[in-house]
Amino acid sequence: MTFLPFAHALVSRKDLPIPAWLFAWAASIVLIASFFALSAAWRKPQFEDERRRPLGERFSAVLTSVPVQVVCGAVAVFLLGFAIYAGLHGTEAPDRNFALTFLFVTCWLGFAFFSAIFGDVFRPFNPWRAVGRAVGGGFRTIAGQRPAHLPYPEWLGRWPAAIGLLATVWLEVVYGASGGVAVGLSPDAAGLAALLYSVYTLAMMAVFGTEEWCDRGEIFSVYFGMFGRLGLFGSRDGRLYRRRPLAATTNWASVPGSAAVVIASIASTSFDGAQEGAFKDPIENLFEWFANRGMELTSALRLTDTIFMLLTFAAVGAVYQLGVRGMRTVPGAPSFKQLRTGFAHTLIPIALAYLVAHYFSLFFFQEQAQFTYILSDPLGTGHTDLFGTVNGLVDYKALSANMIWYVQVAALVIGHVIGLMLAHDRALVYWPDYRKATASQYWMLAVMVAFTCFGLYLLSVANG
Amino acid sequence: MLPVAHVGHYLWTLYVIPILIVVGAIIRNTVAQRRLAREDAEEEVR
Repeated sequence: MTFLPFAHALVSRKDLPIPAWLFAWAASIVLIASFFALSAAWRKPQFEDERRRPLGERFSAVLTSVPVQVVCGAVAVFLLGFAIYAGLHGTEAPDRNFALTFLFVTCWLGFAFFSAIFGDVFRPFNPWRAVGRAVGGGFRTIAGQRPAHLPYPEWLGRWPAAIGLLATVWLEVVYGASGGVAVGLSPDAAGLAALLYSVYTLAMMAVFGTEEWCDRGEIFSVYFGMFGRLGLFGSRDGRLYRRRPLAATTNWASVPGSAAVVIASIASTSFDGAQEGAFKDPIENLFEWFANRGMELTSALRLTDTIFMLLTFAAVGAVYQLGVRGMRTVPGAPSFKQLRTGFAHTLIPIALAYLVAHYFSLFFFQEQAQFTYILSDPLGTGHTDLFGTVNGLVDYKALSANMIWYVQVAALVIGHVIGLMLAHDRALVYWPDYRKATASQYWMLAVMVAFTCFGLYLLSVANG
Repeated sequence: MLPVAHVGHYLWTLYVIPILIVVGAIIRNTVAQRRLAREDAEEEVR
């Protein structure tokens, strides 16, 4: 998210008690200590069973009732429609237009953060699912039968969501950052993209069925649903339940393409963080190389950024594959494919950690704008004050630069320790002998240390 | 200009060192285990 008013490198750190790189060393020591603690004390799998405890029947019935679902869906459809309208007809100033902050901060980050705590909160607020279900219900009433759908190809799995996730971030950080607009993605481009995506999603739902497409291909359902697996609550057969935190992640990656989704999440956040920091010089060099060969400047910049984004995706994927290959060398290991799928869920807390580390300050500051002047003047016309908050300001002093850094470090360390826990737990399923399980996890330890140091390096350069 | 002036460009190496230490330890451990397994096998043959 590189548009200027949203830049996460808001302030630089001046007075850390120790150099930033020493935090990477300390984080690595924490991971190594956690690894040995897990090896010594964790000898039976703990997360394979969600241990569901149903919530109160009445409470569950109210929250999952048809009227509540209709209200949630209607609110979501209204807000999406309004965001598209604001994007297409509101001001071109990205920081004053409802569309950008709402779509790329409030929803994109908010649903991810809240899902990670409470479970999949996006599902009832998914506007396309609401429309799909309403149309499907109408069809059933009129035709007296369920609409016919094509069977979803098993091999396709979550690949449409993985590719879509990269495309969404590409739109924002590559297309937006090099589109000739002064400050990133223009609101009308965001509005048009949301409109086109709505048409595409509804078409896919018509072809494959609403729930099927939401489970596999719909970018945001899959993305937020992935983080929702970390959360405390779930639902099954119309009943809400509390579950053991993290346990629902263990079977998330059984669908093909799931590993690509979580790798795309880590890679896109990494690329966004590195674009203006660690990758700045190599990006400039390649851009100049293209430009010197006569390529039009905007195309050269977009091509360069696209190449680096794909390289980041390949690099993150390669680090994970190396870890899996390492595990494969331990006697009794299952197939490479099984290991690659079986450990993909261990990257979910890392994807969340990267998201928190890179964007929590952006979310904190930009939501102040969302609920003050943007809410009162959503089109940014300067003539509207719906709730009397149009003169509200963002309090940039509410978080100090050092506080942001400490939260970033904490997020990365906690995320990677949780990743290690999940990996150790899964290893105990594949290698019931805890010594072999521990031996297999040396490699995942290396992966976690690599991701932690890489993440801290990106942040230190971006903030520095 | 002193070469020290460009030291900032090589700060990334400080972030790579922990990774190298862990990877080095894993490789060393793997090699040691294989050597032990080989020695045990030779012992059995004798």
